[in-house]
Amino acid sequence: MNPGINPCWLALGVPVGKAATGLTAPLLALGWWSLQFTPWVALIEDALVLEISASERLFGGRQALLQVLLDPAHAPLAAHYGHGDSALLALARLRTAPLRTPEALAAPVLAPDDLPVHTLAAAQAHLPTLERLGCRTWGQLRALPRGGVARRFGAGVLSALDQAYGSAPETYAWLRLPEVFEASLELAAQVEAAPALLFGARRLLAQLQVWLRTRQHGVQALELRWQLDTRRASAQHYDAHHSGAGYGRLEIRTAQATPDPRHLERLLAERLAHVKLPAPVLVLALRSLQTCALPGQSQSLLPDTLHVGDSLQQLLERVVARLGPASVLLAQIQPDHRPECMQRWHSPASVQRQPPASEALAAAAALYPNWLLAAPQGLGLSPDGAPLWHGPLALLAGPQRLEQQAWDAGPDVQRDYYIARSKAHGLLWVYRERLAGALATQPQWYLHGVFG
Amino acid sequence: MSALSRLPEPAAMPLDSLRADVWRAASLAAAPAQTVPTGDALLDAQLPGGGWPRGALTELLQDPGVHNEWRLLLPALAHCGSGPVALVAAPHRPFAPALQAQGLAAQRLLWLCATSASPADALWASEQALRCAAIDAVLAWLPQARPEQLRRLHSAAAEHNKLLFVLRDARAQAQASPAVLRLRIAPDADAALCVHIVKRRGPALETPLRLAARPAVLLRLLAAQGPNQGLPPVPIAQSVMQHHTGPTAPPARRFAV
Repeated sequence: MNPGINPCWLALGVPVGKAATGLTAPLLALGWWSLQFTPWVALIEDALVLEISASERLFGGRQALLQVLLDPAHAPLAAHYGHGDSALLALARLRTAPLRTPEALAAPVLAPDDLPVHTLAAAQAHLPTLERLGCRTWGQLRALPRGGVARRFGAGVLSALDQAYGSAPETYAWLRLPEVFEASLELAAQVEAAPALLFGARRLLAQLQVWLRTRQHGVQALELRWQLDTRRASAQHYDAHHSGAGYGRLEIRTAQATPDPRHLERLLAERLAHVKLPAPVLVLALRSLQTCALPGQSQSLLPDTLHVGDSLQQLLERVVARLGPASVLLAQIQPDHRPECMQRWHSPASVQRQPPASEALAAAAALYPNWLLAAPQGLGLSPDGAPLWHGPLALLAGPQRLEQQAWDAGPDVQRDYYIARSKAHGLLWVYRERLAGALATQPQWYLHGVFG
Repeated sequence: MSALSRLPEPAAMPLDSLRADVWRAASLAAAPAQTVPTGDALLDAQLPGGGWPRGALTELLQDPGVHNEWRLLLPALAHCGSGPVALVAAPHRPFAPALQAQGLAAQRLLWLCATSASPADALWASEQALRCAAIDAVLAWLPQARPEQLRRLHSAAAEHNKLLFVLRDARAQAQASPAVLRLRIAPDADAALCVHIVKRRGPALETPLRLAARPAVLLRLLAAQGPNQGLPPVPIAQSVMQHHTGPTAPPARRFAV
């Protein structure tokens, strides 16, 4: 702290009855949020004290700073406050007459000598004695002979008084923003179904959001842990989420770091829907596994085209979380001559940026069908030798011969392709196996694609 | 000359110049907010606004097991933007090289619900895709969708201004539908596609449209067969067979069809 400047302390507290803010540790969240205004933030007793004299000028004065600090649109919760030249003084004023608006800063406050003695934490243990002495205010306590006070109440009361009046320095365990977010929540009631864990997880995510916003980070990987009721024998359960140690865990990863708890909440909801709890859950904990700094966004002078909706990454992650990784496929073109090897459909996790396909491919591929059957479908033969599929097929063009001796795992291809027409289905892509004569049991004709 | 005499004769004034928002029963409805040309001049002329409506549900009805939708939709999908095109619960594997050759780049294909999705999952995925800012168009194969589910998709498409095509069973034609445009498509003789406009904003179209095969290369190839249907097939020209790798093909076998 700067010794040349008169210190200015604020004590922030959560109003009684307003605890339901959706956060697991409201005061701690408020402390993280206040770290952007001053590094001197400490949690003492049930309040938060911060020293703001060094940052006052930066924010344009004490009242302007308070305005930002208590801004209901951004602060994690609506706090009330007291102020004074020392932390204990601010705390005592918070206890006697909490202020709620930044404008109240200019209002007259109780002088230190008039503050009731019960607002000094060090004197709490001796209140009955002090009461009998007729000593009700800080001023009266301070007027007592120091030697007698030290003998009777201990040195703690004297040093607290000195700190409160500013004649002794104050040091506290200053709050620091943790590198890794970790928070746990004891559930109000036992939870038996995994989707119901989401209600507790939502509060943990709200706490996480305050931490992320203060760090200006986005989360890439998260771990949700739940403690099972170990009195049940079924707590020693093994499956994808439980390792028999009495707790279960779920890991969530996103490709793009996100500061948005709603996306994480949706992913959690989809994943929790698949979890089966072997025993009731008592405690829930959330931990960040991987975070990274978010780049700032530059605002454009001209109004941009408005993009309403989720990003593609969010869509893919949500669909994968609900329907499984095989349900989302992206196409990749492969340089091969066999139709079944010309493309590969793969999940977005294994996506590689591919160069655009060459022009040569485009010229030839214009005659390929738009649908390719996953496996060629054997066709019957009519008495006059024409292939049959929902009625006889009329061959319109062909043959186009594809022949490749496979040296890899792919199929050995010796085929003559024809474009055929079916009355009901339109244009089809069929082929005749050239070597089918040797194995008479196999069909000669196959349907491989639909022009669609 | 007085100002009155310069006015046009009342009888000569066309009706629709009176008020832009008066719709006459004989004309197509005024253009919806945005359309994407279908690529077929014949079809464009019959659609309100001259193309597929953006931000509205378009329904295509086909017989079960028949899939001729690419023929109709590819030009619009190729030109509707550069973002992904979501294919929800596609019945077969789309063949990316062929689609890319016709203008729809393989990178734009996004196949959702690729494996064994229930109808509810397909509906959910379609709606999620519509709500995604990056996606340009959504094709959903929803044979069992109910009208209220389609209405929900329709409003999602309207909210996010997306091209939405729902592919359904022709048996659903009798059902009510919130779609602004309903087409029934079926293959026709001569490799053409027969398009009935079942519902559009405007008068009904009695005669179906016949659209030729696409792409043009395929059409030329089929035309080379000539008018005589009884002739055996012609071999595909060597210039087209860039992927031919084996020894030189023998003269084409003649098939009596």
